[in-house]
Amino acid sequence: METVVSTHGLVKRFGRVTALDELDLEVTRGEVHGFLGPNGAGKSTTIRILLGLARATAGEALLFDRDPWRHAADLHRRVAYVPGDVSLWPNLTGGEAIDLLSRLRGGTTDRAAYATRKQRLLDAFQLDPRKKGRAYSKGNRQKVALVAAFATPADLYLLDEPTSGLDPLMEQVFNREIARVAAEGSTVLLSSHILSEVEELCDRVSIIRAGRLVESGTLAELRHLTRTEVAFVHEPGREHEVAALDGAHDVRIDSGRIRFAVDSDRVAGVLPALGALGVQGLTITPPSLEELFLRHYGDDVAEVDRSGGDGSSADRAGTDSVEARA
Amino acid sequence: MSTLPALLGQRLRRDWLQLVLWIAGIAALGGVAASAVTTTFGDETERAGVLALTATAPAILIFRGTPNGADAGPFAFFLIFAFLALMAGLMSTFLAVRHTRAEEEQGRAELVGATPAGRVLPTVATVVHGVLANAVVGLAVAGAFIAGGFEVAGSLTTGAATAATGVAFLAFGLFAAQLFRTSRAANTCSVAFVLGAYVVRGIGDATGTYSDDGQHVTPSWVSWLSPIGWAQRTEAFAEDDLVPLLLPLGFAVLLVGLVFAFQSVRDQGASVLAGGRGRATAGPVLSSGTGLAWELSRGAIIAWAVGALATGLLATSLTPLIDQIGTEVPAVAQTLEQMNPGGSLGQALTATFFSIVGILAAAAALQVVIRARQEEAHGTAELLLAVPLSRTRWLVGYLVIGALAIAAILVTAALGAVIGAQRADDPAQAAGDAIEAALAQFPAALLFLAIGLVLFVYLPRLTIALSWAALGALAVLGVFGDLLAPPEWMADLSPFTHSPIPIGDDIDWTGGFWMLGLAAAGSVVAVWSMRRRELAPGG
Repeated sequence: METVVSTHGLVKRFGRVTALDELDLEVTRGEVHGFLGPNGAGKSTTIRILLGLARATAGEALLFDRDPWRHAADLHRRVAYVPGDVSLWPNLTGGEAIDLLSRLRGGTTDRAAYATRKQRLLDAFQLDPRKKGRAYSKGNRQKVALVAAFATPADLYLLDEPTSGLDPLMEQVFNREIARVAAEGSTVLLSSHILSEVEELCDRVSIIRAGRLVESGTLAELRHLTRTEVAFVHEPGREHEVAALDGAHDVRIDSGRIRFAVDSDRVAGVLPALGALGVQGLTITPPSLEELFLRHYGDDVAEVDRSGGDGSSADRAGTDSVEARA
Repeated sequence: MSTLPALLGQRLRRDWLQLVLWIAGIAALGGVAASAVTTTFGDETERAGVLALTATAPAILIFRGTPNGADAGPFAFFLIFAFLALMAGLMSTFLAVRHTRAEEEQGRAELVGATPAGRVLPTVATVVHGVLANAVVGLAVAGAFIAGGFEVAGSLTTGAATAATGVAFLAFGLFAAQLFRTSRAANTCSVAFVLGAYVVRGIGDATGTYSDDGQHVTPSWVSWLSPIGWAQRTEAFAEDDLVPLLLPLGFAVLLVGLVFAFQSVRDQGASVLAGGRGRATAGPVLSSGTGLAWELSRGAIIAWAVGALATGLLATSLTPLIDQIGTEVPAVAQTLEQMNPGGSLGQALTATFFSIVGILAAAAALQVVIRARQEEAHGTAELLLAVPLSRTRWLVGYLVIGALAIAAILVTAALGAVIGAQRADDPAQAAGDAIEAALAQFPAALLFLAIGLVLFVYLPRLTIALSWAALGALAVLGVFGDLLAPPEWMADLSPFTHSPIPIGDDIDWTGGFWMLGLAAAGSVVAVWSMRRRELAPGG
């Protein structure tokens, strides 16, 4: 498999602040890669380095096996970019901005085809191209950048929280466009903190935190690392029997149900015992990406919770596992 | 009610440094003029001579005002008041738009509007803030004149007239902010109004009627169309009549009334004039980074070029007058002679005006570089640099447009000069001198373009402040260096000092070639270093 994006030990410092701390990231050709992390984790910094807009302090970043800082203009022939907070030229209309960016990307050589693509996207995103930059709302500025990005085919789409400010309907349009370019064989690096979006779109996910990669893999692989939630109707005394089961953690009673977590690869082993207990109203919930995410940021959440005095055991489990890894 | 004081405090806190600089600048201008009257035109007969001369070429009144006698006080008011009013006007309209339309456009007004302050009270606070600022301007101007040894009553009238004109323009700025959806449009409209008020009263003054002794002028009706013209009617130091100030103040009350009427019915963020719909597709120019740089700079370049055209026109059309002054008022001739030793007075005047054209050209070039910085700070440069456009190509676009701006300004100034020269004794000679003088400014202006580019590459966040500061300081040193008599090494720092000056039939291009070389070297260094420069977002 060909690697489209790769960073090794990527470090970026702004003065004394370390934004990226030896980040390793791999995106292979043709995948839609989710790039997850909370605000300030270093997602935008990474993308700016990949675009050659900022220079790495140390380490290596490669785009199509070339240095994006040295060969920025050349590499950009194959790249489309959407920032998370789009600034537009105040005195140019959205249509003019889209045309300018498309011409610079060389996407307008076949004028008729370009006009068709542009019109299709304007219709899909319901964007009025005649307004001046200052008159657009946040969501509409975002749409201008999205139309400009999708109007010219690219090998790699670098998208930095591209749907911020879009309404749910427009998010669906965006998802369709991602599916379209993915079907055409393009690679997408999608930075986001909207987990449902990533869960729906992405083949693989990298989670970063404080400038370091903490987890990377397919969603199935990542789910493997976490625990599956099991619950059934509570009957007195059952909690002790459950606690004795091999692989069960965090047994608790919650609104008339016993809940506990099982390591995802040991669920099958627990089932016979549950059958023997004759449990009622059994539910088994695989971990959502949200839990995956919380697992890595659990201690931040726990920190907030502790000061709020309401820490749930799930979060504390997250704390343990992160500390164990650290 | 603590809301209004809170809003007012926020305005003062945000503006204090800017206002201190504006007010100090306006007061200093008044002070310099006051002392110039006592030093350069110290003698009453000399002043009377100057006034009598204006009757032969009333065009000079466009820049000054209407004479009200040769006493030092009225003479100073005649010399400087229109400038003071112009400055107070610019300060006030920028202040008005900054706190109203710009806030709405940026969405900050929404944050404030959602508090008990509501939609309208912030505008009230801006009115109070602007009126206070103008009151301080008035006091500072009066103080500057009193400190210069002028009588108190006339000084206070001058201050009051400046403040009242400022308030009228403040109201216009607020009004324009209601009309337009963007702060850029509101500022453009307001600046045009202020400059228009200056020019309109200039035309009215120049077409006025002279008294029999040639020492007083009653402006024509045209001056009554301009707030600056109204305030000139106070005839400070002569009549000290405050009644005409009711006009600018009444104008302000009327406009502020309209402002509140508009604001009480319109939505937050909306405007009286709806923003027009633009093009759905880009024109052919918008196909490259250079094309975009041109689109973004075009308006400013045209504005500078209009100023250059007017300066060029004056450079040659005033020559007949200056020859006459030269024989009758030795002080003026001496000053011009100092600025440009050895040549004829006409040449000296042309060279002096073209040194101003050189400053205009340098300013236009710097504004192009500043546009690049604004693109970077605003985040739009990032969109552009994420397409196949290298950082160096992007910067070269601004270098090209900057050089083009310089050329455009020098050419329009030369054009103006050639037109103005038609009335000279020897039009061909005067036009030739002017074209040579225009060409002579090219190297210094190019050097400023290079300085701007180097600043942009090495000190991006300071580009804007340092560019204007460098231009201001070096322009004063270069153009007025001989009058201020700074140490020679200091005067030599300024590129304008080294601009070639036509003297007789000779012109020494050495300084020009050196500056061309330096400009080329600076540009190459800037463009080369851009390869290694990260994008520096706003801050």
